[in-house]
Amino acid sequence: MQSTIQSTKMFYILLAIVSVSSLYFVVPGVIIAEETPQTFLTHTGLVIKTTGEVIDPIGYDGEALDFDPDKFMKEFDYGEVSVLEDGTILREFYITARDDQIMEISPGVFYNVWTFNDSVPGPTIRATEGDLVRIHFTNEGSKPHSLHFHGIHKAEMDGVFESIGTGGKFTYEFYAEPVGLHLYHCHVHPVEEHIAHGLYGAYIVDPKEPREPADEFVFILNGFDTDFDAENNFYAANTIPFYYQHHPIEINTNQNIRAYVVNILEFDAVNNFHLHGTLFHHYPAGTDTVPSGYNDMLTMSQGDRQILEFNYKYPGLYMFHAHNTEFSEKGWVSSFLVKENTDDYGTQVEYDDII
Amino acid sequence: MTSSKPVLAISAIAPIVLLAIMIAFLLGPASTFLQFGVVLPEVSIEKIEFIENEIQATVRNTGPIDVDVVLADVNDRIQPAAIEPDTSLKRFETALVRIPFDWNEGQPYEIGVTISDGTRFAKGIDAAFHALEPNMDLFVFLGMIGFLIGVVPIMIGLLWYPFIKKLGKNTFNFFLAFTMGLLVFLGIDAVLEATEISENHLSSIFNGELLIATVVILSFLALYGIGKQLTKKTEFSKLSQGLAMSLMIAIGIGFHNLGEGLAVGAAIALGEVALSTFLIIGFATHNTTEGLAIAAPLTKSKAKIFKMIGLGLIAGVPAIFGCWIGGFSFSPLFTLIFLAIGAGAIFQVVLSIFQYMKEKSEILSNTSLFAGVSVGLIVMYLTSVII
Repeated sequence: MQSTIQSTKMFYILLAIVSVSSLYFVVPGVIIAEETPQTFLTHTGLVIKTTGEVIDPIGYDGEALDFDPDKFMKEFDYGEVSVLEDGTILREFYITARDDQIMEISPGVFYNVWTFNDSVPGPTIRATEGDLVRIHFTNEGSKPHSLHFHGIHKAEMDGVFESIGTGGKFTYEFYAEPVGLHLYHCHVHPVEEHIAHGLYGAYIVDPKEPREPADEFVFILNGFDTDFDAENNFYAANTIPFYYQHHPIEINTNQNIRAYVVNILEFDAVNNFHLHGTLFHHYPAGTDTVPSGYNDMLTMSQGDRQILEFNYKYPGLYMFHAHNTEFSEKGWVSSFLVKENTDDYGTQVEYDDII
Repeated sequence: MTSSKPVLAISAIAPIVLLAIMIAFLLGPASTFLQFGVVLPEVSIEKIEFIENEIQATVRNTGPIDVDVVLADVNDRIQPAAIEPDTSLKRFETALVRIPFDWNEGQPYEIGVTISDGTRFAKGIDAAFHALEPNMDLFVFLGMIGFLIGVVPIMIGLLWYPFIKKLGKNTFNFFLAFTMGLLVFLGIDAVLEATEISENHLSSIFNGELLIATVVILSFLALYGIGKQLTKKTEFSKLSQGLAMSLMIAIGIGFHNLGEGLAVGAAIALGEVALSTFLIIGFATHNTTEGLAIAAPLTKSKAKIFKMIGLGLIAGVPAIFGCWIGGFSFSPLFTLIFLAIGAGAIFQVVLSIFQYMKEKSEILSNTSLFAGVSVGLIVMYLTSVII
């Protein structure tokens, strides 16, 4: 009798323990603080009142990000310039590959980027047709890397079959040809992985007779697959999603703009570029002096480049973005803020002459 | 004897102390030595609600490490959002993600959140549906649903009482066995339903299946203890033994109906089912058999009408409470626990009925037992198909 009663008691005690301990999971861990809610206006025009934090990649000031798209789009690396005995101009570049860096690629999102000169994209290499380009490449990464340039060069300078191991060095040398907007990237297998992590950059070969003066911008259309499912989670012009939407690029009416657009997106076969409020003349790979069309849409497959020339007639805020709206809603959306300009602005732009 | 008590206490406590020291060692000095492998974060979206121009997702950190929720998306398209109380989620902590969004009724949506390492976690909703306002109307509505699926069918089932009372011994045994069949089916049904909730709503960190097993067994043992006490008190009057049996059945079914009510209430609130009159009819038909199960053991005693109504209420009213709790604050864990308690209780009742039958009849007719259980199971299966 005694034992039955005791065992019954045991059951009650056990039950009590189980029910009390289950409360730990059942009762939500949130204690809503008595705070006055703040009101936020989102970019979609909807209003949200919250006592919590706002997670909006657009509303971010961008200061804490490791990469400055405003700086990058106007930065050209002309190399260390010297003149050879035969009068040829030699441009020497130093590029270091790394694969251990973590970068804030979108507000709050940290991703292991593989970099050329600590940047994704790598520096925009710029030379003039006929220059001798010499690139001192060092691999400080833990994996083999290489530099593969598009353009005309010898097979052994192609950077495909000779991958450079950890700590290795290699000097790539070729003449800058042909004129155009080219690309360089790591060509070590698996290439998709090396590119998706950030090992790419633009390579511009200017014609000997300089192009018309213009304000020039580089837009590298890229993306990041942060969860490794072979689909991009983020898209952008110049790495940071939504950046130029929140920080419009300021230009003037009647100002000639030249945009160097490179599509280095992985995982998606096609990317595109749509400009609002005006149309552009475009030069595929920038190799021809005659534009191949006058349009507001460009369709670009992986590795495609286009030089765009345009100006704005009317002031205001104009978008440019992927017309593949999935990409634009994941970050590849930008804007120009066009200001009224009565001067002939084009002549004010400095153009870097050789040397 | 008293001198050995401290020794006894020490021998009981010593292993616990040693275990504590070992855990302290593993967490402290040995922690760096033991770090290997990759620790993956995990976030579960437990609930998605659609209100005026806004989608609200309740997210819980169900992984082994703290996380920061930094982005929200709708259908894999990044959307600005707010997160309350803040972006940082410790283990087991929940937060409310509020996404301003002009959603469309009846359309499927997938809601996702991205954490600071870029990993995205998502949950789909088959059809967006305006979240029910927690007001008096909903209270009455949910109460009505609980009443219709719980109380009314059981009361109807109890009306079989006069019919069963007039049956011969073998036929009566058949009906008791029939009740066992019904209950076994209900028990299995509850375990399956709990498993389904565990799979769909509960993060793997809770070990849903093991929790179900644990609660079923604990509930079985607890009810066994209570049942023993209850029958002991009725030992003097053989007549009320049937009543005790019915009470046990009613309690078991009550737990079951609480769990069922929680599931139905939650399904209504989450908009996961289109609640049609057809569904109510299905539940009602199914649950009528529960009334029969309560009535059967009573036939050998002089049960009074109010006692029977009382038993019916014990079994049925929990469905109303279940609907309220499930409808106003759905907790998958809570629902799972109650379904499991119900299952354990029901299995215990099956055992009690079996023992009762053995006691009552010197020679237990196998035919009526097997036929009863089989028919019970089949009837339950057929009524379940209607739902």
